[in-house]
Amino acid sequence: MSRIEIENFTVRRGNFQLGPLTLDIASGEIFALLGRTGAGKTVLLEAIAGMYRGDEGRILLNGVEVTTLSPAARGLGLVYQDRGLFPHMRVEENIGYGLRMARVPKEIRRRRVEELMELLSITQIRRQYPGTISGGEAQRTALARALALKPQVLLLDEPFSALDPATKKGLYQELQLIHQRFRCTIVLVTHDFNEAQLLADRVGVLLDGRLLAVAPGPRLLEGHYCKEVEIFLGRTL
Amino acid sequence: MNWWNKSRPDLFSLFSIAVALLVILFIGGAILAIVAGGLPGFWENLQSREVLFALRMSVVTSTLSTLVVMLLALPTAYALTRTAMPCKRAAGVLVELTLSLPYLLLGLSLLILFSSPAGKWLKLHGFPVVFSPAGIVMAHLLVNLPYGVRLVKTAFESADQRLEFLAQTMGATPFGAFRTILLPLCRANLVSAFILTWSRAMGEFGATLMLVGVTRMKTETLPGSIYLSISTGNNDSAMSTAMLMLLLSGGALFLSRLAAGREDQKRRKAGER
Repeated sequence: MSRIEIENFTVRRGNFQLGPLTLDIASGEIFALLGRTGAGKTVLLEAIAGMYRGDEGRILLNGVEVTTLSPAARGLGLVYQDRGLFPHMRVEENIGYGLRMARVPKEIRRRRVEELMELLSITQIRRQYPGTISGGEAQRTALARALALKPQVLLLDEPFSALDPATKKGLYQELQLIHQRFRCTIVLVTHDFNEAQLLADRVGVLLDGRLLAVAPGPRLLEGHYCKEVEIFLGRTL
Repeated sequence: MNWWNKSRPDLFSLFSIAVALLVILFIGGAILAIVAGGLPGFWENLQSREVLFALRMSVVTSTLSTLVVMLLALPTAYALTRTAMPCKRAAGVLVELTLSLPYLLLGLSLLILFSSPAGKWLKLHGFPVVFSPAGIVMAHLLVNLPYGVRLVKTAFESADQRLEFLAQTMGATPFGAFRTILLPLCRANLVSAFILTWSRAMGEFGATLMLVGVTRMKTETLPGSIYLSISTGNNDSAMSTAMLMLLLSGGALFLSRLAAGREDQKRRKAGER
């Protein structure tokens, strides 16, 4: 488990600015980031993962500053909305990629991949390429791949947005199971209020690059917020 | 008539088809002229010492220069598409600037460069460029490097950069992500780039002529052989050599299309269900 501290962090990309943003996510917490398209949710997630170093401020993982560390040195798992599976690798090769990069011996690697495939019920598609599997299977594969190195933080960028309700429901349960089993901190980007309330301990509302509200997940709709958030929540016109 | 009833082309489509037919006639006519002129004495001329020498010289120098072009183009294209190198835009323009210059001029610039004290020093230390086969490779390099960089850059730009980032979050170094993600994703496009660059090197003449001249059985490439044959009035031999070049070019184009087709197939297979 890992605590994430974001202090006055700012990223500028052309006309868009994320932050200055301050946020403290506790160890083992599931934190959901809610916001409209283009609000900067993915930028924040990618900044935590190490794609952007940021123009100001810093990011700490378990008290250690990682702002200038490479993505490889941060030890995080990342899953994108469109899964981002490597199309030239089979499902089992995708899952074992991080272990291969870490030069984990082949036998241990094989066992670990096997365990993850069983956990996420994708053993039957192990030899298939990403282009030939369903959306739900691809999402499970991406989750398994992100978990292979037992990351302390799991970053999920709208992982359930393109799935049908039944598959979504199954994956919600699997995510909770993964959270219990791997005891990792999860940052979940979503635009679905119900999903955020159902899964997250706390929810942050990010609008136009600014974090305007943070509330406990189940009580998100009970609080009173600034006008922009009230409009976003659909309570004020 | 069946086609006409099915598609019912509009006026713009009819105009486009007419222009396309004219273009096909124009290019097809030139190809037909080469085939008609080159076919009669093809096998006899192909067995002549001069043509075989030119073929060997062209294949060896083109293959060598294309290998060097690709070795240099890969890191250059990577730097231009994936890194925050300083003055990236200016560097990109500079690299591609020579694409619009006449090859004769490029050859002349190389001649000036290798006739300088530095060039003479190279010659003195066993690396003669002017009027030697090494010069052919140099000429190919200058002509094809911008082309090769552009092809590789296009291949890299078409690959999803986030996949390399994801690989890095899983512990891959930038070189590891390049080797295990970017290169395999672009493999077919890179094979196609290699073949097209090689094909262009096989047909290069202007820069080579300026730098190394065309001397029978010494610096004679296939285009040089055609030039020499026409100069001496041996049109049959020139047309046979042209026919040989046409076959090589056709083969290269076929292989390049095959590689690109495989890439398309892979993309379709990799698409969301």
